Amino acid sequence: MTLYSDILLSGLVLGGMYALTALGLTLQYGVARIMNLSYGEFLVAASFGALFLYTGASVNPIVGLLLVVPLSFGAHWLLYQIVLTPLVRRAKHQGMLEVDSILATFGVLFVVQGVMLVLFGGQLYSYTYLSIPISVLGSTLAVNRLLALAFALIIGGALYLFLTRTRSGTALRAIAVNPTAAQLSGIDIRAASALAFAAGGAIVGAAGVLISMFLTFSAASGVGFTMKALIVVIMGGVGSMAGALVAGLMLGIAETAVSRLIDPGLTIAVTYALFLAALLWRPTGLFGRPAR
Amino acid sequence: MLRAVAYGVIGIAVVGALAVIPVVASGYEIALGISLLYFTILATAWALFSGPTHYISLATAAFFGIGAYTTAVLGEVLPWPLLMLSAAAIGIVIALFVGLSTLRLSGIYFVIFTFGLAELIRQLVTYYEVNIHRSVGRYIFTGSTQAGIYWQLLGLGVLLAIVGWLITHSRLGLALRVIGEDETVAKHVGIDTTKAKLALFAIASAFMAVTGAIMAPRWTYIDPAISFNPVISFEVVIMALFGGAGKLYGPLLGAVPLVLLFDFLTAKFPNYFSIFLGLTFIVIVYFLPRGVVGLLEQSLARLRSGAGPRPHYMSEGGEALIGRLWSRPKRRAVLKASPDTVPAIEAKHLRKAFGGLVAVDDIGFTIKRGEILGLIGPNGSGKTTVLNLISGALKPDAGELILNGTPITHLPPHRIAQLGVARTFQLVRVLGSLTCVENVIAGLAFRAPPLWGEAAERAARTLLVRVGLGDKTDMPADQLTYIDQKRLELARALALEPDLLLLDEWLAGLNPSELQDGIALVKMLRDEGLTIVIVEHVMDAIRSLCDRCVVMNTGRKIAEGTPATVLADREVVRAYLGDSDA
Repeated sequence: MTLYSDILLSGLVLGGMYALTALGLTLQYGVARIMNLSYGEFLVAASFGALFLYTGASVNPIVGLLLVVPLSFGAHWLLYQIVLTPLVRRAKHQGMLEVDSILATFGVLFVVQGVMLVLFGGQLYSYTYLSIPISVLGSTLAVNRLLALAFALIIGGALYLFLTRTRSGTALRAIAVNPTAAQLSGIDIRAASALAFAAGGAIVGAAGVLISMFLTFSAASGVGFTMKALIVVIMGGVGSMAGALVAGLMLGIAETAVSRLIDPGLTIAVTYALFLAALLWRPTGLFGRPAR
Repeated sequence: MLRAVAYGVIGIAVVGALAVIPVVASGYEIALGISLLYFTILATAWALFSGPTHYISLATAAFFGIGAYTTAVLGEVLPWPLLMLSAAAIGIVIALFVGLSTLRLSGIYFVIFTFGLAELIRQLVTYYEVNIHRSVGRYIFTGSTQAGIYWQLLGLGVLLAIVGWLITHSRLGLALRVIGEDETVAKHVGIDTTKAKLALFAIASAFMAVTGAIMAPRWTYIDPAISFNPVISFEVVIMALFGGAGKLYGPLLGAVPLVLLFDFLTAKFPNYFSIFLGLTFIVIVYFLPRGVVGLLEQSLARLRSGAGPRPHYMSEGGEALIGRLWSRPKRRAVLKASPDTVPAIEAKHLRKAFGGLVAVDDIGFTIKRGEILGLIGPNGSGKTTVLNLISGALKPDAGELILNGTPITHLPPHRIAQLGVARTFQLVRVLGSLTCVENVIAGLAFRAPPLWGEAAERAARTLLVRVGLGDKTDMPADQLTYIDQKRLELARALALEPDLLLLDEWLAGLNPSELQDGIALVKMLRDEGLTIVIVEHVMDAIRSLCDRCVVMNTGRKIAEGTPATVLADREVVRAYLGDSDA
């Protein structure tokens, strides 16, 4: 019995992280229309940031969020303005921008990963912060995991309020639905897209810090995070926050269940099986609108 | 003919020269030669599928690894030819499985799925090896020497060049280009898009798998991490794009310099390899979007100044060899029994809803052969949806469609096109980067029975003259003016030799003199006995062209009769102008 509540609890925590990570990507892809394949690299970069703040300057990761998140926001805003804007200007249609942005962000992926490999090498990193076991529903869980989940919920909630209760948030949602009509009603698409891309960057920074509190990571683990975020976004339906939450939790629980019950080496296989099933069953995602 | 012989002689000489290299070269040089050959093969195979379709596949490492494992597992059991055939067969089976599940979805899903396919297969193989085979790696003891691998790769490369040439010069090659330009158009000119994409994806994957099978002995010991190395997928993409994926020889121009560069970089700066790889990607995207081939073509075009006749891109021999792989359109059944009694098309109780919005609600009509039916009504009344139902772009929720006595209600669009329904689109859709002739050939090549080679080219030029584009035959379609694009779209539709032509606001947006030309053109078609459905708002055109009109409002049929009667109908006037004017 404790095995199953173990699986459920760890699955929820992991799934919460996946959902948070996917939120940032769904902002970038749903609003700014950039398929950002270097997404996971920035997550790992934020993890390294948290690690060095904690071990080097004894800044605890929660305070570290205050530094890493704005930094990641700024870095992504610059990335959009410098690297991606020329592609947006050049693109004649959505398909062309998609292909171009995939290729350009592949480049960014390898550059960022390469820099981290040179700086930190290929080994695994981790640190111990609030790794105090407490008992929840009969199974034991470390405090840092619960804390991470709590912050993920807070950030997700704040994003939801931003998107639904503010003028800028409404503008972003308008662009996600129909960029042309949004432009005609006076929304500056370029500025709003840059904002959405940077906001996605802020979220990936937060996710990186929170995940580093309880998972080991290396310079090469970014691609895995990108993959999972993409799969969650697509399973949930591009642009849908509720979809990302449900799909993220599903993925987290499924992965934990397989790694505990069958073999830890098969997590990607599960991810893909779920992804494929979702695509065949509902090509537009669980909460997605029909395409075009 | 003389040119073909000259190319043949040069080709044999080059291959011969490459074949003697292992005899004279050092071990390091042979190893470099192997790298050049296998990356060229992988990149060319990649571009064969991804070049025309723009589907970016990252599955290269998966198929390469499958091939390598085929050798590792079966290498000592099977003789060499059987080994290669089984690698190709396994590659094809997996490609068909992956393709069937992802190729019918839009491009982005495909990228992401292939992105992780190598990782997925690697995990499954590792799981199998650890839990069932009880050892992670395997030793390979086949007799292949370095030189042997080199010669096998050279042979495979020649085979790939031949197969690639045949494909790009066959209907399959054109089908893929049309799909890459506009998949909707592809379906409506009679291309079975799923089959075409699957066929080419499977062929490319087979070549990748055989490359892996040949390369495996080079490592002596392989494990899943070596054979399913994801970096290979990225390197292949970058080489193909750097060279230019639009031409068969493009990937060669990319693979050679980049293999040499990467070889140099890994030797001198092993830690910085990833950064260089990333920067190369960025440079290509920004400065060489069409690759080295694009640059060459630009400068060549400047040298030639003014397009001469383009090289021949259709080969009847290629088609004869490749065509059987994917499509054999059946000849259209010829209607013998008294054609006048069977209506050209009969629609019964059609219904189509989008969520809560009922766009077409219980619509029915019959069109005689040689008749022109106008489908009119205010904006949003469901006219275009009716055309989409007839052409198969949408499936009705209820009702029946019968074309020449054959039910077509549940057929896919390409089958309906092959049965003789052609259409134009409300927002004009031409294949922008193809020339006008090629646009029309796209309509000729996939109908039943198809037309190809010189016959197709002649027919295409005749059709272009007929719609008034005789002087623009070799111009790329995206350089045409709006009216000319509409003419081109009509020529492409006529190329299908339709029994039924659907014109969706084909006359909209023309100026008065263009409108007169347009009406004259449609009249000419009517005089030839073509059955036509016109969706139109231009009332002059409706009065002078239509034999009969069906008027729609909010999804329902509100009137039917001659143009004069329906346009005087109170209900119709109310639908267009509101209550006070009725």
